Amino acid sequence: MSDLKRTQLYDVHVAAGASMVDFGGWEMPIKYPTDIVAEHLYTRHACSLFDVSHMGRILVEGPEMVPFLQHVLSSNVMALDLNQAQYAIIPNENGGAVDDAYLYRFEEDRYLLVVNAANTDKDLEHLNAQIKNYDAKMTVITGDWAAIAVQGPKAKDILQKLSGGQAVTEPVKNALNTLQFEGRTVRVAKTGYTGEPIGYEVYIESAEAAWLWNRLIELGAKPAGLGARDTCRLEACLPLYGHEMGVDPERKEIPVFAVPLAKFAVSFSPQKGDFIGREALAKQFAAFSRIMNRDFSDLTDLPRRILPITLLDKGVMRAGMPVYKGDKLIGYVTSGTMVPYYRHEGEGLGTVILEETAKRSIGLAIVDSDTLEDDEVQIDVRGRRLKAVIPPYHMRVDAPPFARPILYRPEEEDAAAASGDRAPKALELIGRAVENHVWRQEKCVNLIPSEMTPSRAVRLLCASDPSFRYAEHKKVKSFYDADVFYYQGTEFIDEVEQLLVEEMKAFLGCAEVETRCVSGQMSNTCVFSALMDWKNRLNRKQDPKRLGYIMNNHIIKGGHLSAQPMGALHDYIAVDPVTERHALVNFPVLKDNIYKIDVEETKKAIDQYRPEFIIFGKSMVLHKEPVAAIRKYVDEMGLQTTIMYDMAHVLGLIGDHFQKPFQEGAEIVTGSTHKTFFGPQRGIVGVNYKKGELKYGLWETIESRAFPGSVSNHHLGTQLGLLMAAYEMNQFKDTYQAAVVSNAKSFAKSLKAAGLDVAGDPSIDYTETHQVIVNVGYGTGPEVAMRLERNNIICNYQATPEEEGFTASGALRMGVNEMTRFGFGPAEFDKLAQIMADCILRGKEVKEDVESLRAGYTEMKYCFNEDQVASALNELAKKSGL
Amino acid sequence: MNFPAELKYSKDHEWVKTIDESTVLVGITDFAQSELGDLVFINLPQEGDEVTAEESFCDVESVKAVSDVMSPCTGVIAEVNTELEDEPQLLNEDPYGAWIAKIKDISSFGELMSADEYEAFVQQ
Repeated sequence: MSDLKRTQLYDVHVAAGASMVDFGGWEMPIKYPTDIVAEHLYTRHACSLFDVSHMGRILVEGPEMVPFLQHVLSSNVMALDLNQAQYAIIPNENGGAVDDAYLYRFEEDRYLLVVNAANTDKDLEHLNAQIKNYDAKMTVITGDWAAIAVQGPKAKDILQKLSGGQAVTEPVKNALNTLQFEGRTVRVAKTGYTGEPIGYEVYIESAEAAWLWNRLIELGAKPAGLGARDTCRLEACLPLYGHEMGVDPERKEIPVFAVPLAKFAVSFSPQKGDFIGREALAKQFAAFSRIMNRDFSDLTDLPRRILPITLLDKGVMRAGMPVYKGDKLIGYVTSGTMVPYYRHEGEGLGTVILEETAKRSIGLAIVDSDTLEDDEVQIDVRGRRLKAVIPPYHMRVDAPPFARPILYRPEEEDAAAASGDRAPKALELIGRAVENHVWRQEKCVNLIPSEMTPSRAVRLLCASDPSFRYAEHKKVKSFYDADVFYYQGTEFIDEVEQLLVEEMKAFLGCAEVETRCVSGQMSNTCVFSALMDWKNRLNRKQDPKRLGYIMNNHIIKGGHLSAQPMGALHDYIAVDPVTERHALVNFPVLKDNIYKIDVEETKKAIDQYRPEFIIFGKSMVLHKEPVAAIRKYVDEMGLQTTIMYDMAHVLGLIGDHFQKPFQEGAEIVTGSTHKTFFGPQRGIVGVNYKKGELKYGLWETIESRAFPGSVSNHHLGTQLGLLMAAYEMNQFKDTYQAAVVSNAKSFAKSLKAAGLDVAGDPSIDYTETHQVIVNVGYGTGPEVAMRLERNNIICNYQATPEEEGFTASGALRMGVNEMTRFGFGPAEFDKLAQIMADCILRGKEVKEDVESLRAGYTEMKYCFNEDQVASALNELAKKSGL
Repeated sequence: MNFPAELKYSKDHEWVKTIDESTVLVGITDFAQSELGDLVFINLPQEGDEVTAEESFCDVESVKAVSDVMSPCTGVIAEVNTELEDEPQLLNEDPYGAWIAKIKDISSFGELMSADEYEAFVQQ
């Protein structure tokens, strides 16, 4: 093997006893003495190292680097921000792949293109033929920097030990960072070829490669070879050039759109101009779109596609084996083998990964494009026709930190339709409701910050008569904006709504309030829809333009789901034609306090993006939002930006002890009425636009997006209950709000003193709101929250800004609001902190302690408790049959 | 690498253990399993199959590839080790314990080596 190239880590592999093979002209480890199966499994449950220094690494720089890359790659290079990476294909004129590649932007002024080792020379020849037309240059740096893939659920922990605890990258796929590992500069990418949700590729100068490899092994990673890399990528359904790209077993060129990833890797943005292969790819995309809509009438441009395939009979499929549907040859296996996995038991979040392993025979196949998921097919395994099926996928990564194998199982028959005598079921339902009510109201300590028990008065009013009625009403200009009701019998609720509006105006400190939204999310939808309508009001003869840029809090930094494109912004946010992503920019956060907006960096982002709409507010919220500072800046800049504060969580804290949003310069406030506020579950919109102002028209649009835009029946019972809650809030807010904020600070300090890791800034006692965040360990949040629930402490697990998603949550989010209302003070919260530390840190069963703590605090405070009110409520209960 | 002295070996890396004049147990050698790597599947012959010396009678699959297992003799399959169907890794873990098939009614043998000869053969 003397002609073969060797990576910077060759000696390390040989010393570790690796079996070395020729791979694309490189002498590479196929496996270590542990062997492929163990290496695959170790990747999936811990962390493996893969030497990927053989991959071709090409630096692209020069004034015309972007036009060059736009011309030779399938992706939209303009969409790539600093410290991001993207998957791309290097297409040929026919719409086939010269290679597939990853493009990294570690620096403003150059790009790193990483290509397959075996294709590097061919790629360079192809790219060199193009670059001569551009003022740009390529430099091969394969030998200068080694590359080590660090893949598996423990990868982040291991790398953070080397970074001294610093976050290695943002917790999102394709994020990049340049940082120091024990004094050595490394470039880290959250990328990989194993499908691991927690996987990184680390670049380091060649001289330090062996040092890094050995340090990673000392920290618990194990080496894995190309064999395990192949089984991992196969399980993740990632294409391999030469199998799923290039030519198929019939020696026909595989169209790029045959690979499912092409959907993400190919851009037809006008930014790209006429890139290589564009015309052929556009035809493939048209065919792909037809196929996805199950129109198989013309498959010329995309006759076959790469799909996952699972063997149902015993055996092993291999690349090149023919696939049949009935008697018809429909294609070929392109990759296949037996892949090991850990068995699991339990369901949903309670799924437990076992130590027991098994194997399954899976692969990828290029098959006729009319092949559908769940189709039964046969594979010719050396003369035997074995049964196989097309599954949707082999593995999922949407429950990090683990990649989850998905075993093929046909849809189960629906459970038999409900039948029989319902009377016993009715009785059982009532019994269970009693049980649940007593448990939550008398036995549990409720710490969900988005929940509140309303007073007896609120609850009774919610259930009294108007709850079953309609009261649609609308202002009519012909009657000088008088409200016109559509039904009779609505006089009482009309009056209630007017009183509620006045109470809420007083509470929010604003000019107008809409109370008909039945949830906070609906309030946001009304505002977003109204803003878009307002934007397009002068020209209704074209498709309305969506909103953008919008600035908000990123969901992983605590932003509201309802203020995200996946939430209520979904139908209202524009796509930036340059980046082909949502026209959204997130508030930058402070480096030393990721829970707080960085005002100076935010100003820079406002300069750059000039957002038309800024949405403050979070659901994981420890701090005040810098409304005044940003209002001032936006005004100084002369921007027409609309500033909204989604106060869902902190609505009930508006005032002297927290923030006064309208005084600080917010124009619109939305909120839910049942978190820190005292109400039933509804939403509210307040604005500070006054009659005669330009944006008063926006307010009128908000009203019309509430009705008839969102609700016809606006839940009159809870609207009535909300009026009582507003009376309670306006009467008791000074003492309640002061108690909530001081209880939260006190609870945080007690938790810290009890040995728990409380998030936030200790110099302000960790929080300025009702919330306290406690870190319990990466990925352990769900288990700890469930353990607390078994012990009657109800809170929710929470992904921190450094975590990948809810299943990887390492924190608990708690609110003191509800228990404050039941009379908890610093002493009770201190006792609770001790109990929680026993349960969280020492695994102690604390159910009895919790029940006895709660027992003394079942009477509602901060509401009207006078005898007169109590007897009036008894009358209401009696008359309304409650 | 282990080469038990009481066994005979074929150049295709099978071992043969004599039970009586016309009956043997057959498996793959330590060297064979080590070269193949993790075995993940075995396609066993069936009882009653007639097998021919130096022709394939079974195949084993590693993660990377399939390999034929050649019969060291001509005869009839008397019994197969069905335990291997679910646990092919036994061929890696205990190559001389994990027999593949018992062959009876043997009419002839292919070329077989002693342990020393086989050890020299694989070291070439």
